[in-house]
This record gives sequence, structure tokens and C-alpha cells, in this order.
Amino acid sequence: MRNTAIIGCGQTKHSSRRRDVNLAELVEEAVYNALEDAGLTMDEVDAFVVGNMQGFGGVAQPEQWLGDWIGAPGKPVLRIATGGTTGGSVGQGGYYAVSSGLYDKVVAVAWEKHSDSKEPGATMGLAHVGIANMFHALGYGLSLKSLIASAGVGAAAGVAVYQARFYMHRSGCTMEHFDMVAARLRRNAAKNKYAHLQWPNCKPEDIAKTEIVAYPFRYGHVCPASDGASAIVVASQDVALKKCKKPAWFKGVASYSDEENQLQSENYGGVGVLDSSEQMGARVSAKMAYKQAGIIDPRKEIDVAELYTPFPSQEFIFSEKMGLFDEGQAWKATEAGETEIEGKMPLTPSGGVNATNAIGSSALQRILEAGLQVMGKAEEHQVPKKVRNALAHGWGGNTNYITVTVLGDSPRR
Amino acid sequence: MGYIKDERPQTMMVDGDWQIGAYTYKAPKLVEEFVAGLKEKKIIGSLCMGCGKVIVPPRRVCGRCHRMMEGRQVVSNRGTVTSFIVSPPVKEGKMIIFGIDAVGSGAIKEGSVIIPAFVRFDGSDANVGTEILNVDAKDVYVGMRVEAVWEEKPQGMLSDLLGVEPLKDGE
Repeated sequence: MRNTAIIGCGQTKHSSRRRDVNLAELVEEAVYNALEDAGLTMDEVDAFVVGNMQGFGGVAQPEQWLGDWIGAPGKPVLRIATGGTTGGSVGQGGYYAVSSGLYDKVVAVAWEKHSDSKEPGATMGLAHVGIANMFHALGYGLSLKSLIASAGVGAAAGVAVYQARFYMHRSGCTMEHFDMVAARLRRNAAKNKYAHLQWPNCKPEDIAKTEIVAYPFRYGHVCPASDGASAIVVASQDVALKKCKKPAWFKGVASYSDEENQLQSENYGGVGVLDSSEQMGARVSAKMAYKQAGIIDPRKEIDVAELYTPFPSQEFIFSEKMGLFDEGQAWKATEAGETEIEGKMPLTPSGGVNATNAIGSSALQRILEAGLQVMGKAEEHQVPKKVRNALAHGWGGNTNYITVTVLGDSPRR
Repeated sequence: MGYIKDERPQTMMVDGDWQIGAYTYKAPKLVEEFVAGLKEKKIIGSLCMGCGKVIVPPRRVCGRCHRMMEGRQVVSNRGTVTSFIVSPPVKEGKMIIFGIDAVGSGAIKEGSVIIPAFVRFDGSDANVGTEILNVDAKDVYVGMRVEAVWEEKPQGMLSDLLGVEPLKDGE
């Protein structure tokens, strides 16, 4: 495997309605920003890896529409769609394409354009995904009434809310801790010029004032639906050293999918796991990625983590699974302020998915933001310390599909 | 930003409606076996001869051992709550799933609070998604003991199992 690095990052401004652009123009905006950052022209790109959440935006083959806009004609284009983790898989796809030796300069771009749907959020897109789940639900013993009841709190929220309840029960954390995380992520987002829900000086009390969606979640806990795109330029070692002063090197790349926690699959895939916050996929992929990166103690060696957490409870669950805190202890670190941008273990300084959720792009945005931290280009939300290793994580909808990427300031040996 | 025009408040839009409901999907075969049990007020699971786990409702292959789950087991009508959520009072027009209004369709009564939950029935190793009935949301907790509530005359349908309620006799 060749050494591979991110040499350019580009994002669009995210908001609930980007009516000034269409899908292709939105994607182009991110790609152009990334190329500009990398100092490359469209002609110099060898290949593209693209993707958004399947079925979302009501366009089945978006790559046909946007190919011309990103300079892809006559070049290899690979579309990847793995649900909520799509962006993570797209970023890793860019890594595979370069590290395999096939190409030297690859653009990986992921996006979502929710506002094209007339329904709020992404109901139409969720229906595509949901139909498969409905049939799992049959095998799961859910009658129509129960299905409507559990679907009533929204697809991913409906799953995450059970997950949160499991976690609260075994860790002892309370709703107030969710308020703290949500407030911090929105404060962080205010420092990120591309973020969607920006709320400077947001306090946990402000979040606590919002209405209950489904106990224990409030409106203030739930992520928005955003329009936006993210792109990275992935390059081989030769190109990276020539083109970039401080590239973000890929050091560990792993993904893991298990039936275990697929909430609405037939009884958790028939493995008899009763706790949907167990998330073994996260633990296994983190372990694999750390091994590749030569990381022995993630608490000492990971300097900043960008976690895919549409809901605040997931920050606790996933940071523990990534080995950053002891099991059931992450909420205490939040209470102590350790996860702030200036803290000991800064979590999601960009504001993350809780503040900006262009679904297909969200997990690529985690890789991109981790890259910015390594490259020292995160501007206002740059962590005030030397970043040797940054962790990027992706989580897929209600399934247990996880991507974990470790980026570092030096190539893998 | 050379490629994108700076001044463009809103581009032309084309409206459209696309029908996505024109499919017929097939339910898993074992659902028939499960609902046949429900008709007799029995909850059936499948038993793995490899790891000894009992999964409810039954499934063909064990997720861990990847072997056929040939055994069948009737599990208890009593169980334990492993997770639950509480909805705000449901209002008409507020809860619309796949175009169906939950209140308007008669599935849920206006103003009711729903407590969807996962229950592990005694003698099984899996959660069943169901609803907790006849209880104040404030009194529900993880680990609560519950028992099945049945339709008066079960028809052999998933909805025969109405939900669960707290044990009356406290075991």
C-alpha cells in the first residue's frame, strides 16, 4: 500500500435551503473549493469517487447529472452509497483508489440536497430506506400500530432515542448531559463558517427550554437537515510532498458492518444482543484503524476527534467505543469540560453532525474536518495544540455500519 | 469562486410528483408460523442448537453461528422492559408516516401518550418491539416486569399482541 494524504479540502456553506444552486452546482462548489485549496486544476484530476445517501434528493443517478460540472467526463467515476456512512465510505474510497497505485490525484466528494423535496426533511428519501426497514419490522414482530408509534419520532431519531435510553440506564447520565453536549456543539458550530445551526454562547439551559420530541430527546438535541457538499483531494506521497506544505496523511482506515445492532432487522440479526448502544462495529473498526496507524493508547495519541453524532447521546456512546474514555464515563468528561475545543480531548470542534447534517456528506465532512485540524487550517475552531493524530468516525442510519479513519501529520511507516 | 455565479438568488424550478408505492414486497415466511402462535396466545421463538439462544420472533439462521435454527420454543408471556421511549401527546396532523395520519387513520387516539418499548420475554434472548399499555409514563423504568396483553379474539395477526402491561400480581 502506498502512502496517501489529503492535500485539499473544500466545503459549501450549509443551510436548510440552498435555493441559489441546483444539485450539480452545489457539488461543483465543494469540488472547486477543494481543488483551489490543493492548487490543482480540474484537468489534473485522475479519477473521482462520489456519493450521497441512496434515494435522497429524489435523484437516482445523480452522478449522471453532475459529472460535467466537476470535470469528470472521460475519467473514472465511482459512486458509493452506504447510507448515513456514505461520506466515510467515499473518503475511504478515495484512499483506496490512490493507495492501490491506480491513480495519483483523486477527488472524493459527497453531498446532500434535502430542500429539493417538498416534504420536510427528507421524508421521500427516508421512505426509500424505510420500506426495507418496514419488512424487517415484520420479522421483528411489530404490528402496524407499533410501527407507526416508533416511526413517529423520526427514522434515525427513533433509533437513537432507544440507544440513548439504553446508555442512560447503564451509565447513569441524565438529559442534562445531552443538553451540555448539544450546547457545546452549537457553540463550536458558531466558530465554523460552513456550519448550519450556529448558536454563539449557547448554554445547556437554552437547549433545555426546547420541546420534547420523544423522551429523553428534545428538539434542541436533534440534528437539522442541511443542503451542502464536502470534497477532499487525495494524493499519492510524491504528489502530496510536492503540492502541499502540510498534508494530512491517511494512517488507519477501517469499516465494519454487523447485523448485531441493526435495530429493525430481524431481532438484531438474530444474535441476541439486547442493548442497541453496544455498537460493537464502532469498537472493532476503531481497533483495526488504530492498529494500522500504530496507535497503542488512543487517549494519549489521538489529539482531536470528529465524531458522527446527529444526537448528543451518541457522542458518549461512540467516544467510549473509540477508546477515548472508559465505558460509561464519557459524560463525566463533558461535565468537567474536557471535550471543549481547549480541553484535554476535544470532541467535534467543527460542531459536527448535530449542527450540520447534509446526510451523504456528513461522514466525509468528519474526515475533512479531521484533516483541517492536522493541516492547521481549521481557523476559528482549530484546537490550540499540536495535532499529531486526528480521528474521524462515521455511523450509518439505524444500521451498525461504521467507518473509522485516522489522519496524522506524518506518513505511515 | 470562479465557477459559480455570485449573484443568483434562486434558479428556475420544476415541480413534480413521483409515485413510489407501486411495489408488492414479500414478508418473511416465518411470520406465518409466528402469527399462528399468536392466534393461540403463544409467543414462539426459534432455538439455535449451536449457541442455545432463543430468538423471538423465529428466524431461519442464527446471526452468530450461521446455522439453521431448527428448534422452536414457546417463551413466557411475561418479560422485562429493556428500553422504552415516551411520545408527547399525539395530535391530529402532527404525526404523518408514509402519508398516513396516525390519528386520522384511527391507529392512535388523539391526545394519547405512546410508550414504544423493547421487551425481552422470559426464556428468550431477543427484544420484541411493542408498546407498554395501561400505565402512567412516569412509572415506567428499564427492568420493569411486564406481561403480554392480547386481543380478545386473536385473528392470527401481528396485532393480536396488543402490547404489554405491568404485572398485576407482582409475581
